[in-house]
Amino acid sequence: MRAAARVVSAPATRHLWAPLWLLALSLGLVFASPAQAKPLQVSVNSAYIDVYTGPGRGYPIFHVVERGEQITLLKRRTDWIKVETRRGQQGWIQREALRHTLGPDGLPPTMVDPGQSDYLARRFELGVSVGDFAGADSLNASLGYRFTPQLTTELRVGQNTGQYSDSRMATLGLLHQPFPEWRVSPFFGIAAGRIKTLPSATLVEAQDREDNLLQASLGTYVYLSRRFFLRVEYTNHQILTSRETNEEINEWKLGFNVFF
Amino acid sequence: METRFQRIFLAAVLALGPSLAWAERDILEDIASPEVERRHVKESKLDSENFELGVFYGLFSVEDFGSNPVMGLTLAYHATERVFFEAAYGVTETRETSYELLSGSVALLTEDEREYRYYNLSLGYNLFPGQIYLSENWTFNTNAYIIAGAGNTTFAAQEYFTYNLGAGLRLYTTDWLALDISMRGHVFTHELLGREVQVNNLEARMGVSVFF
Repeated sequence: MRAAARVVSAPATRHLWAPLWLLALSLGLVFASPAQAKPLQVSVNSAYIDVYTGPGRGYPIFHVVERGEQITLLKRRTDWIKVETRRGQQGWIQREALRHTLGPDGLPPTMVDPGQSDYLARRFELGVSVGDFAGADSLNASLGYRFTPQLTTELRVGQNTGQYSDSRMATLGLLHQPFPEWRVSPFFGIAAGRIKTLPSATLVEAQDREDNLLQASLGTYVYLSRRFFLRVEYTNHQILTSRETNEEINEWKLGFNVFF
Repeated sequence: METRFQRIFLAAVLALGPSLAWAERDILEDIASPEVERRHVKESKLDSENFELGVFYGLFSVEDFGSNPVMGLTLAYHATERVFFEAAYGVTETRETSYELLSGSVALLTEDEREYRYYNLSLGYNLFPGQIYLSENWTFNTNAYIIAGAGNTTFAAQEYFTYNLGAGLRLYTTDWLALDISMRGHVFTHELLGREVQVNNLEARMGVSVFF
């Protein structure tokens, strides 16, 4: 009773507690509720499937699931799928083995293999490249958005480090691929942006400067596999300096592009 | 007083009510509906964990400028079981050169210029997948990898195009948590001491990473 009296002595806080408890409990219910998707279960439809200890062909096979046995699919990493057997053993099977299983509806699981044609329909493209920027080493990253199969808008940032000066540039441009379905698909592009040049600290009188930049590019995509492309590119840079003449720089680069 | 107790009970009933009802329904479902659902399985519904985010700490030795702790971040994308891409960013401090120490009064660099930062993009290859046996019942998957890439180093108010080469061992404590022990060499050319020299700055590091 004394304890109760003590509780009553602080009514304001208790008033708060009841709704808080309610809130906590209902939150708990929301998260514990079967909102989480039901486990994906398939049954083996070939003589057997090897179960590896890790997601790679180099890991040992420690278990085998036989025809008719049910397995739960847990997650995927690269081309491997983590499964749990009926007895609770966990291991990895090759993704390809999934073709020899049946879902609850009696059909093999639907698997999507991304290929070149898929990625023409995809929207985003991320790329990195290294190159030669008139003697300086260049590193570039790009983000592209493909709004038609032929046309991509691209945001690029680059950093060039040379013996006499370093520079950083950012441009926005447009890229055109006349034959996007070709395995080796040429493109050309134009872009505009800014370049900041930082002369070497060892050169005494030089000053940092920032100029406008125009680019014209010619190159080609080479489809490698899945979502990866190789990209070879030549870019002609026109730096619109505040001096008498504009500066022209030729750049060659080689890079990887990934489509999302 | 009475109303207070009532209120507590009321809150408890309200709170527990739905969960009790839920439990009841679950039991009923188990009894009444013997799995009639004929769901189609799609691989795309499966959670994929191909990205790896990590932090590392180690020792970075900058030629002529001493060895110091280094720390940084990595983000990797595993394209296949063998191939992965890694972006890394690291920061370390450097010390006085032996020349500065011996001469006593000469300072080649200011305090700010002694900070050494780098970033790089690398391509890694899992060379030897394997296992480590800690005891009879305790096994961890491992991966010995080699890695190479290019990036930039900012040091002494200058930027240097930097190649990196390295190797490491990744130990998976669980599927999604890995420990990493690795060595990297960061190669670039500088003229800080008057003459052009190529340096290979060695980095030994340990890291923790999560897959998502």
